[in-house]
Amino acid sequence: MNDSSFGSSLRAKIFFVIIVGFFSISVLQLFNMQILQEKTYTTKANENSVKPIYQIAPRGVFYDRNHNILVGNKPTFTLRITPAAYDKKLSPYIETILGVKPGYIDRILKQTQQYSRYIPRRIAKDVPFNVIAWYEENASKLPGVDYVIETQRDYSFGVIGAHMFGYTKEIPAELLQKKKNEYMMGDEIGFNGIEKTYEDFLRGEKGIQYVLVDSRQKIIGSYKDGKHDKTAIKGYDLILSIDKDAQMIAESLFVDKRGAVVAIEPSTGEILAFLSSPQYDLSDFASVTSNEVWKKLNSDENRPLFNRATMSIYSPGSTFKMVSALAALEEGIIDTNYRTYCGGGFQYGDRFFKCLHVHGAVDIITSIEKSCNTFYYQLALKIGIDKWSEYAKKLGFGKKTGVDISEESPGIVPTREYYDKVFGKDRWRKGILVSLGIGQGELSVTPIQLAQYAALIANYGKTAKPHFLKGYIETKTGKYVEIKPKYFDAGISKRSFEIVRRAMYRVVNGAGTATNIRMPDLEIAGKTGTAQNPHGKDHAIFIGFAPYKNPKIAIAVIVENAGFGSVNAAPIARDIIKAYLKKDKVKIEKPAYLSELVNLKKIKNEN
Amino acid sequence: MKIEYKLNDKFDLMIFIPAFILIAVGLAAIYSSTVNHPTASGNFLKQVFFASVSLIIFFIIYSLPQQTFKKFTIPFYASSIFLLIIVLVIGKSVYGSKSWLDFGPIGFQPSEFAKIGTILALSYWLTYKDRDINNIKDIGIALMIGFVPVILILLEPDTGTAIVFAIITLSLIYWSGISLFGLFVVLSPGIVTFVSLFGTYAFILALAGVIIALFLFKRDIFNSIIVFVMNLGASFFFDYIYKILKPHQQKRIAAFLDPSADPLGSGYNALQAKLAIGSGGLLGKGFMQGNQTQLRFIPEQWTDFIYCVIGEEFGFIGSVIVLTLFLIIFIRLLKLSSIAKDKFSSLVIIGFLSLLFSHFAINIGMNLGLTPVIGLPLPFLSYGGSSLISNMILLGIVSNIYRNRKLHT
Repeated sequence: MNDSSFGSSLRAKIFFVIIVGFFSISVLQLFNMQILQEKTYTTKANENSVKPIYQIAPRGVFYDRNHNILVGNKPTFTLRITPAAYDKKLSPYIETILGVKPGYIDRILKQTQQYSRYIPRRIAKDVPFNVIAWYEENASKLPGVDYVIETQRDYSFGVIGAHMFGYTKEIPAELLQKKKNEYMMGDEIGFNGIEKTYEDFLRGEKGIQYVLVDSRQKIIGSYKDGKHDKTAIKGYDLILSIDKDAQMIAESLFVDKRGAVVAIEPSTGEILAFLSSPQYDLSDFASVTSNEVWKKLNSDENRPLFNRATMSIYSPGSTFKMVSALAALEEGIIDTNYRTYCGGGFQYGDRFFKCLHVHGAVDIITSIEKSCNTFYYQLALKIGIDKWSEYAKKLGFGKKTGVDISEESPGIVPTREYYDKVFGKDRWRKGILVSLGIGQGELSVTPIQLAQYAALIANYGKTAKPHFLKGYIETKTGKYVEIKPKYFDAGISKRSFEIVRRAMYRVVNGAGTATNIRMPDLEIAGKTGTAQNPHGKDHAIFIGFAPYKNPKIAIAVIVENAGFGSVNAAPIARDIIKAYLKKDKVKIEKPAYLSELVNLKKIKNEN
Repeated sequence: MKIEYKLNDKFDLMIFIPAFILIAVGLAAIYSSTVNHPTASGNFLKQVFFASVSLIIFFIIYSLPQQTFKKFTIPFYASSIFLLIIVLVIGKSVYGSKSWLDFGPIGFQPSEFAKIGTILALSYWLTYKDRDINNIKDIGIALMIGFVPVILILLEPDTGTAIVFAIITLSLIYWSGISLFGLFVVLSPGIVTFVSLFGTYAFILALAGVIIALFLFKRDIFNSIIVFVMNLGASFFFDYIYKILKPHQQKRIAAFLDPSADPLGSGYNALQAKLAIGSGGLLGKGFMQGNQTQLRFIPEQWTDFIYCVIGEEFGFIGSVIVLTLFLIIFIRLLKLSSIAKDKFSSLVIIGFLSLLFSHFAINIGMNLGLTPVIGLPLPFLSYGGSSLISNMILLGIVSNIYRNRKLHT
């Protein structure tokens, strides 16, 4: 063919016809739809609309290491209001029925203003059945109000565990912005503790049901017989390392006390018992948390919301003596033949540092067994600040343990740099070191660090990061997936640990400071401590492990304002160890201590 | 000396103003459909950003020397093909199709930019020296230029975009002056292959049709046999390819044939779109007042179903105005293609016209329930940066051609 047909006017005309043709057909179709059939379409749009209804997936539940349930789910009624259809004049009636203050509904509607008016708001969770019965009778007079059955946490299995389990909360607006692909308004999200760390395992997948709704959003049937519906898939169930019996004993022993307990399986880092006391009642957070509860918890001087086991920092007292012992043995500063004389104290410069007794000639074993301060005042000076802080860090102090809940403090291990910063370069006196030698001074540790330290000693310097999660069950496949512990090694020789362990054995089974917890058939090794407290009575501390030869449990117990560790902390540790190892029948009834939780009068009187 | 300066002489307002208004209407519709949406509420501001960027790019392209485009044709086309291959390997899946390249917060669809490369490359090839548009070899190469991206995009798979590429290729070959017989040679293998997907009887019937057509063209027996063999070969080749494909790729081709491929059934979207538009009436329900839109009956309405926001909220009047703005652009492009100073420019303009029109026809047809649901954005209006920017680049090239139309003539 020839060139003349390039872009010929005939070819342009054919394009023109196609374009104008399609334009005309479209305009005709628009005319047909929007002018001629407007009524049909409008009625259909109003009457026959498809709407997705989302069903919340039940969260995964928590089991203990022996597959006893710790935290479950239970069905509850949730009352909702959809602003687009709701008449605000109804609020006073509903508020009266719910027994809440006037203005309650208005406040929730205002808080959720930024969302579409067609999305229902949860007004009240865990609504009693009589309210639902009242709604059913009056539904026709209550436009825009409905209820759904949802699940909420059930804590009625005998364990409180407030600080480790944590609670869930409606997702805040700022967080929703960031996670808008996974969450919708009103969804619950793990807010602290295990609920927060394992949120992705626990939350499951929402179900969707497509329904036909009329213009007043009333459901008139399912869409395509539910062909496209998706059922909600429950979140993964977690198998925790907690031992329910040990945990329950710990909780019952702390009903009238303040403090913390952490027990660890030394070879794996699995947390067997975990407690911060006083606790709070998680079921207060399972539905809408009332302002009164918040106010009460926040203003309580015992700070029940505060997780003492991982966040509170204490002075470790004599329990820290093994750090100096290990440092000195490992560095060859002393050996088992080394002896020093205790005449009831130690004169350093112009200050006299006291010991509780006159111990006479003391070697490394006796120094721990009898907790001789004089020995450690001198030893600290021999070790020096640099080696001392190096070993404190090797044994896990001064940094977070990395436990799988996010609330944790690192504590403080003072170093040369630390004192240089506080007092100026080299402008501090070595006397500071004397106090550090017996675990007093600027040093501060958390209970979980002490438990990890006990586990390290028990297992000759080898353990794994303390953790709650042993594994989880994948909902779809039913498969159990185990989580591998993160093992680590303190890097101190077995020989040094051997000596320290022997000394700790004698603390309970020799002529030591905790012979009061000796048992004929179970060898416990441990160390008592008394931590100075500038605000009141000293804190009692005990760390230990058992059985001595093949440790299965390492533990740290702190009882605030209770005085000597041997009298007040050691027996608690013994009972928990007993419960875990010997499986004594646990005979505690939940209401007895739950009710006492609320007022905690006893503790307040003590101060 | 006074210089008579007329804006209209250097800058084609007839095409820029309608495009600008369409972008503005698109922004209003995106605002209305996303502002109350829990997950898409940021899209309006993003689109404002895309619109600003695309305008800046438009003016840069507009002011470049005209020779630039020819010079950049081959590297541009080559890199388009490269990116289309890359996206198949490391692309991100969106709604089951691997068409996105992700660079941290920025993602884009290489197929949008391949459109520009393909239009330029085809225009270049079809006007290079003594090209004979009815020579089998020259047509063959032109088809290759156009169909390499078609095949790559079908593998993503993005059926709608592949169709657009095919339409662009055919329009450019057609505009270059191919004979009716040539057009038949180009089209028949594609049609026969497509029909063969519906079974053996359909395939035999299609082949019979080809034989009848060949008789009617009264070509010599040798040429006729070659064409027939090409038809046969194409469908068997396709059959062979289909068999060596992996199951999931076969599934994609099956999904192309099955109109209810998307998860909720495309019937659902089509029905909801029609209800939205039909219930709009003459004047519409008003900005932000459409209950179909505000209740979000149509998923991702701000992309492929943006036209039903306009239909519902601005009614018949608004809908027709949008169609008319497109009509003005189309007619104007057709006019410009005949006043362009060279064949290359003329083909580029026709390429842009066929691109816009195929998007327009497939999208509007789907919204009005005239054609099956094939996901394609409506140019200038739908949410999305890649599509808007590539359209504005092409608009920039066309405006550039307009600015330079009187040089060297």
